Amino acid sequence: MTLEVQTRQIEDGVAVVAPTGRLDVAGAPTLKDAISEVLKNGQARVVIDMEGVSFVDSTGLGSVISALKQIRSSEGDLRLAAPNQQVRVVLELTTLDRVFPYYATVEEALTGF
Amino acid sequence: MASDSETFEFHATLSHLDEGLETLHDSVQRLRDSTGRGQEDRSLLRFEIALAEIGANVLTHGRPAGTDPPVEYSLRLDHGAALAEFIDRGPPAHSSINRGMPDHSSKSGRGLPMARSLLDELGYERDGEINKWRLVKRL
Repeated sequence: MTLEVQTRQIEDGVAVVAPTGRLDVAGAPTLKDAISEVLKNGQARVVIDMEGVSFVDSTGLGSVISALKQIRSSEGDLRLAAPNQQVRVVLELTTLDRVFPYYATVEEALTGF
Repeated sequence: MASDSETFEFHATLSHLDEGLETLHDSVQRLRDSTGRGQEDRSLLRFEIALAEIGANVLTHGRPAGTDPPVEYSLRLDHGAALAEFIDRGPPAHSSINRGMPDHSSKSGRGLPMARSLLDELGYERDGEINKWRLVKRL
């Protein structure tokens, strides 16, 4: 299952990046490219909408950490929205839920962002 | 609940990363269907996460550069436990098997520690020129 990513600009400087499929060792480069693209367009506050992500592995998680580093070096911020049970298990297992506080919906993640 | 009377066996030869991972997830889905478990079954979900991690490692590192030998994969139910095995012909993996969880800023190195903590047993053995991996999770 190839990862597909859709991006939409919400307002000046804010974008929602929505991957669909498995965010794993095969799909991670696609997310990385999408994050680079939104930063290039000057959108440094980014919500990754995880609703369409069916499964994440450690490499997929690595691509989210990489995105966070890129975004913070552009003085922006990253939020995760709507992770499924599997994604939450992986975030908790790696204690990365302390680094990526996640929101139930994209709307919640965008509030006050 | 799974019972000892349930039988399930799946075998595949994996040659490519993306297709190989697809096959691993498909095999777990078949096990779910075969045992009447849903997507929310926590034990199988944890097994699937570990399987995908070891599978990705084997498919990425288990094939020597310049060659493309396939990886043998099997999954079966064994006395109420999911039991998966991989056989690959890559270099020995002893140095990475006991690696701990890296810190939050690291972009890699979480796969094996994650798999170890999710499974009841993660076995690794070097036998001549091949690596044998054994993953067990009680369901």
